[in-house]
Amino acid sequence: MLYRPLALFLLTTGLAVLLGDVNPAEAQTAKEKKLKRLEKFLKKTPDAAPNAFNLFDGEVAKYLKQLQDNAAADQAKAKVAGYPAIPKNPAALAKLIDAEISRELVEEKIAPSPRCTDDEFLRRAYLDIAGTIPSADKTREFLDSKDSDKRTKLLDELLADPRYGRRMADIWTAKLFPVDSANRFVLKEPMHKWFEEQFNKNMPWDDLVTALVTAEGSVEANPATTYFLANRSVDKLTDTTAQHFMGIQLQCAQCHNHPFTSWKQTEYWGMATFYSKVKIDNPKNANKGGDNTKIGVNEGNTKARGKDFFPESAKTVAAKFLGGPEPKVSEKDPYRPVLAKWLTSAENPYFSKAIVNRTWAHLFGRGFVNPIDDMLEENPASHPELLAMLAHHLGTAGDFDLKYLIKAICMSEAYQRTSRPFSDNKNDKYRFSHMTMKAMSPEQLFDSLTQVTGLGKAGTERPAKAGKGAPAGARAQFVTFFLAGADSANPVDYEAGIPQALRLMNSQIANNPNAVRAVVGSSTKPEEAIERIYLTTLSRRPTADEMKMLTEYVSKTGTAMTAYGDILWATLNSSEFTLVR
Amino acid sequence: MFSSRLNEKTRRDFLKLSAAGVFAPTLSGWLPVMAKAAAAAGRPPAKSCILLWMDGGASHKDTFDLKPDSKGAGEFKPIKTSAPGIEISEHLPKIAGIMNHGVIVRGMSTPEGAHARAKYYGHTGYREGQGGLVYPSIGAIASKELGSPDSSMPNFVSIGGRSFGSGFLGPKHQPLLITDPNRGVEDLKAAASATQFDSRIGLLEKMEKAFQREYQADSIIDHKTTYERAVKLMQSKEAKAFDLAAEPAANRSKYGTGRFAESVLMARRLVEVGVPFVEASLGGWDTHQDNFKRVKSLSEQIDSAIGALVTDLKDRGLLETTLVVWMGDFGRTPNINARGANPGRDHYPRAWSLAMWGGGIKGGTVVGKTDKEGASVVERPTNAQDYLATVCELMGIDHTKKNETATARPITIVEKPKPFTSLIV
Repeated sequence: MLYRPLALFLLTTGLAVLLGDVNPAEAQTAKEKKLKRLEKFLKKTPDAAPNAFNLFDGEVAKYLKQLQDNAAADQAKAKVAGYPAIPKNPAALAKLIDAEISRELVEEKIAPSPRCTDDEFLRRAYLDIAGTIPSADKTREFLDSKDSDKRTKLLDELLADPRYGRRMADIWTAKLFPVDSANRFVLKEPMHKWFEEQFNKNMPWDDLVTALVTAEGSVEANPATTYFLANRSVDKLTDTTAQHFMGIQLQCAQCHNHPFTSWKQTEYWGMATFYSKVKIDNPKNANKGGDNTKIGVNEGNTKARGKDFFPESAKTVAAKFLGGPEPKVSEKDPYRPVLAKWLTSAENPYFSKAIVNRTWAHLFGRGFVNPIDDMLEENPASHPELLAMLAHHLGTAGDFDLKYLIKAICMSEAYQRTSRPFSDNKNDKYRFSHMTMKAMSPEQLFDSLTQVTGLGKAGTERPAKAGKGAPAGARAQFVTFFLAGADSANPVDYEAGIPQALRLMNSQIANNPNAVRAVVGSSTKPEEAIERIYLTTLSRRPTADEMKMLTEYVSKTGTAMTAYGDILWATLNSSEFTLVR
Repeated sequence: MFSSRLNEKTRRDFLKLSAAGVFAPTLSGWLPVMAKAAAAAGRPPAKSCILLWMDGGASHKDTFDLKPDSKGAGEFKPIKTSAPGIEISEHLPKIAGIMNHGVIVRGMSTPEGAHARAKYYGHTGYREGQGGLVYPSIGAIASKELGSPDSSMPNFVSIGGRSFGSGFLGPKHQPLLITDPNRGVEDLKAAASATQFDSRIGLLEKMEKAFQREYQADSIIDHKTTYERAVKLMQSKEAKAFDLAAEPAANRSKYGTGRFAESVLMARRLVEVGVPFVEASLGGWDTHQDNFKRVKSLSEQIDSAIGALVTDLKDRGLLETTLVVWMGDFGRTPNINARGANPGRDHYPRAWSLAMWGGGIKGGTVVGKTDKEGASVVERPTNAQDYLATVCELMGIDHTKKNETATARPITIVEKPKPFTSLIV
């Protein structure tokens, strides 16, 4: 048990202070640090608390008792507020989610669709969490496994997979690094890599946002500063902070009082003031022989004077939290830590709700509030109590642990419903009676196609047009082409156009004999080959009807390999491939 | 329990009612007059627009607004054109011959002096980053307002250069990009024989049918629609417009040689089969150095291509219904810089020129005037919004109409317009 050596250490520190061996001020800060660690530990393992309490005497024991009382008070408060006081346990949280979702369905008299099949779950979880389809071998293994716990085990596997970090980095880099002509000299890769690392080591969300908002130094030393380099004006920073970390679209209020909400122009600029002292290097200078990794960001103690940092509409207003109080800030101290502290605290009602809503939308295609960054009073949530409960839990017992939240949601029946409509529920979009059919993002499409065909290795057919920034790799080019100008993919609509369809039909991607051979492998019988193709592309075995139709097709076609090529072409161009059922 | 949860669209409608008047368009007094005039003239709207984008910003004093008596007059002399009283650069003789069909707008004055921002503004009428949105270019707007969703051909094609996209109008109105007009549409040809392609499509159709029957999702239908359009394009005879080899060599050579000539030729072929908006770009106009040699060479390119284009359109009876626009990021400095071995001109958005032919405009006129140096606009200053509103007017698009973003924010096609009344026939 961990607390024994810790307790001993504390005891000796306490004694050292009492005996006058240690400077009380130093001991105080050291004690505070230890207590903070202990507090965190207690939050994670509340069962440990009574034992720890019994171990000590004196001052230290008093502090621990205080913690214990606070925790009990929190729990009691939670019960009063109507939040069930559940521990940090994904199965328990999943049960809570289902209780709320089912309650709504019963009230609205909407029948839920049944549980999804193993193949649906496998492909869905793989794409949602790791951003790619499973391999044929993995598919076979999962489908044939008799382990009753295999779905939960798969979730653990996927959350520990480094591709999870890459998927989250794809999503968050797209949000915080806008496509803007002003960003053509700013390197995107350091930010992407940083996000990958933080998400893979599961940095708590509040810590991650704090790190972003207060980032300082060069890109090389702290890639999180890319957020500032890619949003080099006070209004861009304010807009993105509000939109992505609070789920609020604030940009209208930049120039006038927001027409549909209560945000006044002064409130906008009250928030913007927190960023008013940030000094951001000009990336263009880096390009003139400088190094794009040496440019960076720091916060001074006077108003920033960078060109175009303040738009024409800027107003000078005292720093004020959005919908909250005016904190006491001294101009000689940095403002951003003050902002970060409030932003990620329980005093900010938007922070926790925004990440819960986003995470829900990530997995279900739609959030409780839609659009997911328009979380206003005037835009009510579909499940306000559940949203509030999840937000509260995540910010307290949940420690802003995103992997925990994702696992809990994916363990729920709501997540595991099939996307096939059932009874009358076809038109239900907001009650989660059945899973929404999602469309793969360009990144997911690339990674999945690569898995099947080795697309990435084949390289691009067209040489990259050398831009002023770093040359784009095959994945980036593919993503740009398939995004077709949009900022980010919309999971709920199929939005590709003619050029994308032509590319998939007629380019090397789906017309590569090597890929056919690789997929079909050493299959001797058509049934084997066809099964292999389906397992590789659609993550399932063909139905009896499909097998009949396709074996007939093979026998009618000249050579078997030609037929397999046709079948592979068809599966890769099918909606079943590009959609997430 | 309040059970009628409003979804994103109806919420916005509800709020719209409660905020009535907030987005009321500020109509200038010109529009009702113009609409009446157009109706009186019985002028049918232009069906297509060909936008010729001079990438880098073309020097106005060396093309359409020469000032031979000015301080920085430069090396070129003005010549007379087929439009009485109008003179342009000596290096644009073929264009001079068709000026009677054209209008020069010499009073362009815009706020953006950086390339990317100026291009954005010139294509959309909005400033980059304004309101946190990506705005649609005029091509995407034409695609949305005029394009036929059932057409086998795309409604917006961009040839030869970087395209400006559809912004919040979404991927359906993105341009089809042609990087090399000689190669036509990328991936248009099937990788398999016609018979094999048909077998594959047959397989795909069976798979789609089964999947749709099981899952019944809207996105499955959207996927099917897109694929059907793509296959239709592959099989359409209109797609022959993308094939420059099908153009008689004698006519093809009139356009000149090089990528721009080919792009302009393809643009003509595309409007012939009804594509509403085609953009072709010519780069190299950013003449900070060596202005005169470079502009002369570029002038030769546009001279042949535009001369041939307008003549061709006239001969085929398409000029009245096809608007041709020549413009760029901005103009260039009235004074010649003394840096470097060969003098040049730098960015200058304060006063510059654009030109238009066809589309129902009143040919042989000049709108707007600059001072002796070509440095400031002294008569009828116009900006990108004026120009875009005019294009909309000529194409029968109501530029005060609002399109909705994904969050159902209403955005006017062109804000605060003051169209050119004298350009309408």
